Amino acid sequence: MPYKSIAKEVVILAVISLATAFGVNWVSPKGIAFVGQWDTAQGVITAKAKNDMVAHELELDDIIMVKNIYDHQQAIFVDARSQEDFREGHIRGAVSLPIGEFESRIDQFKASYPLSQYIVAYCSGRECDDSHELAQRLFEHGYADVSVFIDGYPAWMAEGFPIE
Amino acid sequence: MNKLPVFYHPIVELALRLFIGVTFVFASYHKMVEPAHFAKIIYGYYLFPDFSINLLAIGLPYIEFFCGLALIMGVYPRSAALLINMMLAGFIVAISINLIRGHEFDCGCFSFGEPGYTSSARQLLLRNIGYLMMGVYVLFYQHRRILCVRQSGSFLKDLSIS
Repeated sequence: MPYKSIAKEVVILAVISLATAFGVNWVSPKGIAFVGQWDTAQGVITAKAKNDMVAHELELDDIIMVKNIYDHQQAIFVDARSQEDFREGHIRGAVSLPIGEFESRIDQFKASYPLSQYIVAYCSGRECDDSHELAQRLFEHGYADVSVFIDGYPAWMAEGFPIE
Repeated sequence: MNKLPVFYHPIVELALRLFIGVTFVFASYHKMVEPAHFAKIIYGYYLFPDFSINLLAIGLPYIEFFCGLALIMGVYPRSAALLINMMLAGFIVAISINLIRGHEFDCGCFSFGEPGYTSSARQLLLRNIGYLMMGVYVLFYQHRRILCVRQSGSFLKDLSIS
């Protein structure tokens, strides 16, 4: 085996690949940061893409505060998970608006809830960014007051809070 | 050439080389266009330090793509096979560790729940072992390769388009 030649070729292939990779990542609108946010203690995880939907300033990370909002009926809770997950269990009184069916359901949603309505979006926890995407798409449709309950349904259920 | 056993026939090498090459080019496509999604898949193994996840998500798909392309074009087939085998061995180790500790990533996210989008860890493991066996064959193939522009060794020495 010509080890020296193979080593040289490996370096050539690696350099071409990595130069292209980082070049494309630099110009692509879907490019990501060199270091993402992968610590759930700091909020919903994200690769920090240029088209990132995660906005940490919307996040509600104190479940007691969220329960307080729920108890005082200050917001409607909107579930971004699939219809199937919603049927299996959800925060009591929550409205289902699966991110995968957003376009087909948003008109009906808007007919039911005014744009001034305070909305708390949630999904399945800090490894799930669907609730963030839902929040951004609701903003695009004119809703002005949307928060994201980042611990989502699993934490709500684990606390023994109302579900159905 | 005809005296070689069927297992070592250049057509077998060519078929396996093209199969792996096309597979890796196709496999790299979605990772290249959705690096954030691929980064989340890497995160889901819970094996890599946070600082390395995005760097892997940016670099690996292009190594897969160019190595696959090199195999298809018959440029540096041994070196491309070597890199592909290293990546496959890495995937196999990562999947095995998670199978042993009973961990399978499920973030409950829409993009991870689409039908046919993800495979089970066992399926992935078996598939990657199959690819690795083919890759090892291509790497250590000692006879003349057909439709191969540049073999390892002297520059253009093994030019052997038949």
